[in-house]
Amino acid sequence: MCALTTIHRGSMRLLVCLVVAVTGVVAAQDGINKDLINKKIERKLDISSQLVKVTQKITLENGGPAPVRAFLVTLTQVEKDKLSYMNVQSGSSVLKVSEAQVAEHRDLAFFRVDLRDPLQPGKTANVEVEMIMTQLLEPYPAYIQQGEKQLVRYTGNHYVLTPYTTTTQTTTVTLPSPNIESYSRLKPTTHTDTSITYGSYEGVAGFTVDPMTIHYENNSPFLMVSKLERIIEVSHWGNIAVEETLDVLHTGAKLKGPFSRYDYQREHNSYSSIKSFKTIIPASAKDVYYRDEIGNISTSHMRIQDDAVELDLRPRFPLFGGWKTHYKIGYNVPSYEYLYSSGDEYILKMRILDHVFDDVTIDELKLTVILPEGVRNVAFETPYPMERLPDTVHYTYLDTVGRPVVSVTKRNLVESHIQDFTLHYKFPAILMLQEPLLVVIAFFILFLTVILYVRLDLTLSKDDATEAKMRVSSHCEQVHTHHEKRARLYEKLEEEIQKLKSSKDVTHSQTATKKIQGSIRDETQAISDLSAKIRLDNAEYAEKVAELQKLDKTLRESVVQQLTNVEKLVAGKMSKQQYMDAEAPLHKKKEEALEKIKVLLGNI
Amino acid sequence: MVGLESMSRYVSPVNPAIYPHLTLVLMSIGVFFTAWFFVYEVTSTKLTRDFFKECLIALVASVFMGFGILFLLLWVGIYV
Repeated sequence: MCALTTIHRGSMRLLVCLVVAVTGVVAAQDGINKDLINKKIERKLDISSQLVKVTQKITLENGGPAPVRAFLVTLTQVEKDKLSYMNVQSGSSVLKVSEAQVAEHRDLAFFRVDLRDPLQPGKTANVEVEMIMTQLLEPYPAYIQQGEKQLVRYTGNHYVLTPYTTTTQTTTVTLPSPNIESYSRLKPTTHTDTSITYGSYEGVAGFTVDPMTIHYENNSPFLMVSKLERIIEVSHWGNIAVEETLDVLHTGAKLKGPFSRYDYQREHNSYSSIKSFKTIIPASAKDVYYRDEIGNISTSHMRIQDDAVELDLRPRFPLFGGWKTHYKIGYNVPSYEYLYSSGDEYILKMRILDHVFDDVTIDELKLTVILPEGVRNVAFETPYPMERLPDTVHYTYLDTVGRPVVSVTKRNLVESHIQDFTLHYKFPAILMLQEPLLVVIAFFILFLTVILYVRLDLTLSKDDATEAKMRVSSHCEQVHTHHEKRARLYEKLEEEIQKLKSSKDVTHSQTATKKIQGSIRDETQAISDLSAKIRLDNAEYAEKVAELQKLDKTLRESVVQQLTNVEKLVAGKMSKQQYMDAEAPLHKKKEEALEKIKVLLGNI
Repeated sequence: MVGLESMSRYVSPVNPAIYPHLTLVLMSIGVFFTAWFFVYEVTSTKLTRDFFKECLIALVASVFMGFGILFLLLWVGIYV
């Protein structure tokens, strides 16, 4: 039952050819081995839900002289069309099943099961065949009223349909309730509570058919997901977003006559209608939403359990036979739950579909995986064959060339199909920087536009007055900058004076102070140059700057005088008293100059 | 092809738990530089503005805003 479809991008056509070829090989002619005998068959028929679940425990015996490698499982064409899942096991190992054809029985469907070890003559082998069929139970009557119970009819065979002679066989039918309208009898038949036992029947020849009909009450939910679209979006920033869009249809007996909300609320007699159902999603799911076209459906509950998150979903209206609903379920899961990596290689291992409700039947599934931009070498593997759809691209936030999208589809699925797929791909981690860099570039372009815009001069005539004003203000600003530099130099010079007082190292100090004085001269020169430039446009400001220079001169002179005095004091050419006397007026003069400069600067 | 057995579980290069903090820090720095840029643009005249300074502020602002916006998207659930 395990088939592997490893498909690389761009090889869809090849795949289609391959599938055709494989099917051709599988449906090869098979003969019926007359030597095989079913020594014992125990069949369990579970028709308590909307599905038909068949389990056959077969004891095979090889009555011939040659070893037997395979045996056949037979179904009617109707059953084969409705067959959703088939699994054959011997002990704990799963056996390979493939479709087969028998020339003498064109009207029947056959599956060849390859035994793990050839069955030696005279030996027996135990195998267990599990089959699930959907849409096989027929609502009968097909239309019921609101308060009526739902009756369904199962049509089958009292004997197990098999190409081999069966020594002894029994069939146990499991029903949802003891309420049975009628059932066919073939002695010995026993009915106890919710089960009917047929058999045991001895020595039944191959292909023996005796029609079985069971007409019984079945109010279990007949809910079919007519279309399930599951979208998985992988982000390498640590998240996997899952969104499922479902079209749900009630496939039970259709509602006849009117629907009365009053009766529905008052009497609890709407047996087959569906009020709510449970969906189980992974335990790590967060940011769960349940909505449809018009928004959130508030009638839902979420219960967080240890191993899963349980959603109790209640559609906007109860579902009666033939009624549909459409909704979306979405959630986020952290990437470490399902994504594995080694260098640039990644494997996404996730469920092909997840639980929707118990005993679900899904008519059509479409699984879409959206990978990050820049992914290469995609290989998709599924545990059972699925049809791979052509790869597309998906555009969302911060995309350039689009994200690669891989999608597969399959029809007629049940819960047993909840299995993992693996998606192998390559993704250079450096490409993750592409998204932030896109935003960075966008912002930078915006800033560059502004830089260009302010440089645009769209005036038709040149306005000299404004030009001049602008020039003056620009020059004044430069005066400020130069003056600030000069003020800092004065501070430095004073620091040097203080240092000299304590260190008394005149030669060392002189080199430093000379340098500072030189810088002060440079700044002063620069301001004088600017003053000359300002004078060309505005004499008033030029006067102010000239005054500033004058005040600065006073300031410089007093500071230089202070420096000379200290040098003299250190050298012993001046007494302490003399120094003190000289210092006081100098200090006063300096303070005055500073004060005036401050006022003047405010005006420039 | 490497098998699943030899691979390790993939975690994001940045822990999703710190997306809010990263957003706030990067965006506040980014907004500061953006504001500085625009204030500079409107207060400077064609004689005083310095192209190199403008570009430098714009570059710093756009880098911080870019990464800030990215983490904002991730924080609010737009997993790009």
